[in-house]
Amino acid sequence: MNTEKISYKKPLLETPFHKRTSEHCYANDWYRWAGYKVAKEYSSTELEYTSMRNTAGVIDITPMHKYEIKGKDAKKFINKLITKNITNIQSNQVAYGIWCNEDGMVIDDGTIFCLNENHYRIFCAERNLNWFCDTATGFNVTIEDISSSIAALAFQGPLSCKILNLLKVENIENLKPFHFDNYKLENQNVTISRTGFSGDLGYEIWCDPSQAIDVWDSLFKFNRDYKVLAAGMNSLEMVRIEAGFIQPNADFMSAEQALRPNRMRNPYELGLGWLVNLDKEYFTGKQALIRHKEKGPEKKLVGLDVEGDKPAVGSVLYDNSKKNIAKEIGIVTAAMWSPVLKSNIAIGFVNKEYYKLGSNVYAEIYHPEELDYRKIWAECKVVKKQFFNNPRRNAIPAFI
Amino acid sequence: MKKFDVIIIGGGHNGLVASSYLAKKGKKVLVIEKNEHVGGLAEYANSLNCISPIIKKELNINIHNIKDTDYIISLEDNQNHTILEDKNGKLSFVKTNADEDDQKTFLSIINNYKLFSKTLGSFMYQKPPRVKSGKRSDLFQLMSMGWKIRKLGKKNMRELLRVIGLNIADDLEDNLNNDNLKGLLSHESVLGSNLGPRSPGSILTLLYKQAINENIFNLKKIEVTNYINQLEDCCKKNTVEIIKSSEVRKIVTKNNSVTGIQLNNNEVIESTCVMSNADPKTTYLNLLGAEILDTDFIRRIKNFRNKGNVAKLELVLENEINIKNIDKKMYGKFIYAPNIKYIEHAFNANKYNHYSKNPCLEFYVNDNTLSANIYYVPYLINASHQENEIIEKCVAVLSKFIPDMKIRKQELITPNQMEEKYNISGGHWHHGDLEIDQLLMMRPFYGSSQYSTPVNGLYLCSAGTHPGGGLTGINGLNAAKKIIEDSK
Repeated sequence: MNTEKISYKKPLLETPFHKRTSEHCYANDWYRWAGYKVAKEYSSTELEYTSMRNTAGVIDITPMHKYEIKGKDAKKFINKLITKNITNIQSNQVAYGIWCNEDGMVIDDGTIFCLNENHYRIFCAERNLNWFCDTATGFNVTIEDISSSIAALAFQGPLSCKILNLLKVENIENLKPFHFDNYKLENQNVTISRTGFSGDLGYEIWCDPSQAIDVWDSLFKFNRDYKVLAAGMNSLEMVRIEAGFIQPNADFMSAEQALRPNRMRNPYELGLGWLVNLDKEYFTGKQALIRHKEKGPEKKLVGLDVEGDKPAVGSVLYDNSKKNIAKEIGIVTAAMWSPVLKSNIAIGFVNKEYYKLGSNVYAEIYHPEELDYRKIWAECKVVKKQFFNNPRRNAIPAFI
Repeated sequence: MKKFDVIIIGGGHNGLVASSYLAKKGKKVLVIEKNEHVGGLAEYANSLNCISPIIKKELNINIHNIKDTDYIISLEDNQNHTILEDKNGKLSFVKTNADEDDQKTFLSIINNYKLFSKTLGSFMYQKPPRVKSGKRSDLFQLMSMGWKIRKLGKKNMRELLRVIGLNIADDLEDNLNNDNLKGLLSHESVLGSNLGPRSPGSILTLLYKQAINENIFNLKKIEVTNYINQLEDCCKKNTVEIIKSSEVRKIVTKNNSVTGIQLNNNEVIESTCVMSNADPKTTYLNLLGAEILDTDFIRRIKNFRNKGNVAKLELVLENEINIKNIDKKMYGKFIYAPNIKYIEHAFNANKYNHYSKNPCLEFYVNDNTLSANIYYVPYLINASHQENEIIEKCVAVLSKFIPDMKIRKQELITPNQMEEKYNISGGHWHHGDLEIDQLLMMRPFYGSSQYSTPVNGLYLCSAGTHPGGGLTGINGLNAAKKIIEDSK
């Protein structure tokens, strides 16, 4: 019997960087992402994290879903898809947007690259082809999944611009945040955008899969002076929590995937109300979002400054310092000890009485200690989700 | 420019019923019809019947059945046909090769189905309740539906709930021995739907059709042209304006509300209320445009099953038609669906978008003309049928019973041609399958029930709404009532 045809026996796909990532991946610890394998941890998560916060880290983000939108109605289509108005978007500009279903519940978020008036690319974490195609009914557009034809690296960290500059990428320091352009990187034609999930200066590099190895190698060229490390998914998770970025199916369930209706979340609950433009003539979910806005969110995703140094992973949140009379008022969706901020941070949902900044809530932390749990009742303060937001991120020209 | 309270797109019979009713209630109504005459698909029907008594009363329609007694003839290859007599709805066997037990069981099955469809029938004339509306009237209606089923008694209620999702073949095979009788009932259940005798839910389709027609064999015939003329007169009497030979290109909207319609000659007629008598898919995707509809809603429109699979054949022969082995005065509704297996095999082709090589037929004869419904001839997307081949196959079946057929004229209307002529996407008799997920409050689909739409001021009144097709006129009446209720 031909076992190759049985899907569960098929190995995960390898990204165009696999030759290099597998060499670096001392831990041989892989994470499954959209049918590909990417490194969870190369050698040490903390080291990789440190490189992203102090020099620069390289993350293979090739498995990210990429869709090409082309046609006369491309802009109209995107304006129907997302909640934000992109009528004024210019070529070489990147927009961040979310899309909702008819009940105003968030399906996914993504970045929208405008190549020209009639040509866009959308990058997002979940599969969305079906949703895009159904949304495109009645529009003169073609939608194509180009995920496998573009290799992508995130190059994040305070020295990322400096290293690109040393690699003679011309004028890279003047690339504005949320913009992209075509550059020459060591004789390779690549597209570089000033985007990323680290909350710090950083770039994303998009290239043809055939150039992947050369592009990877060039980023490590100055490693004698500036220790650039390949970073895995675990360290990416750390920086994105510090930056306060939310992730579908981690912080909230994508409305296309949630089985229980009360697990879906609207943009106001996720603190993404600023991405919703209700003045726009039409987009999917508009009528529902008008109602949601009027009603106000029942619960909201907030940042939490947690007492102590034990991460409040998966903790339930309570309203009272006294455990025996405390009522449940929320849940933590992501938590960590932040080395760079030297504080214990978390992201979580709290009920509407508590989402005002400065409110106090209490987390019950189960901290594992040598085959035993220590139960900690920790006070938390509601703060902004963006824990780490370095001015370097938006400075022009970028820090060299 | 004239302004109208309500514009109705399409002068089909539901549109005419709705416009008469609205005009009677003091609304200024305009009807726009694409063809040269009104009536739409009604002229296509050769055995229609079931105009609701409410409509007759409200609009003063005076129409009678052509005949009180009729015959149903189930043809068999060995010329041992079964003949049933229907006298004012009472069935009896005239001739059959089934034994007495089978005859008795057959009639009792029909009586049972009659009882169930009576229960369903009581939901027909009302607008279906909206489950999550939170309105007390909807809740009350839902409870009364449940109560009516409960009122059948423990045994019958159980039986109804048992058969409601069942396929007709299973139920018949459990109770009957005679193949011809099984074929006959299966035929009634699958004709005009996208089901075979073994498809789940085919009993419900039968019960539902029976509830609309008030008769399992759908025999009550009326003069359709007479009915349409009376409706048109009724419209005129109530000062409804009717524009014929004019096609609507677009429903114009602003901020999720209707502002009027645009005709093919670019003329715009303003109105804050538009009612569409076109089928739901055409209304939403062509007239309204998908751009202003939510993606989930578009999905539901696209998933609405509206693939027609019945073709109509009109034959004119050189000489008078004589059917072998049957007395002339017993001519009535002829059915060729000899057994369940035969129908199921015919259905197999339909699954793969082919016409059946051995089709099932239902036909009427009149002197030297014959008019037949042929299934399965599926609607094809971006393709067309070899019409001559389909006619050939039908004639091959017919010639078993009609010796020396000399054809003078032949005309075949496939679902594709029906789509084109009457502007019904999919060419489906009922604008959409009558299956459990497309009935009552789910007809045509969630978010568009109770004749309303997500767009303010746009209403539906076609056969694609509750209670479905079949010339009842209820769709039009209920939709009109909904408009009156909303405008209060």
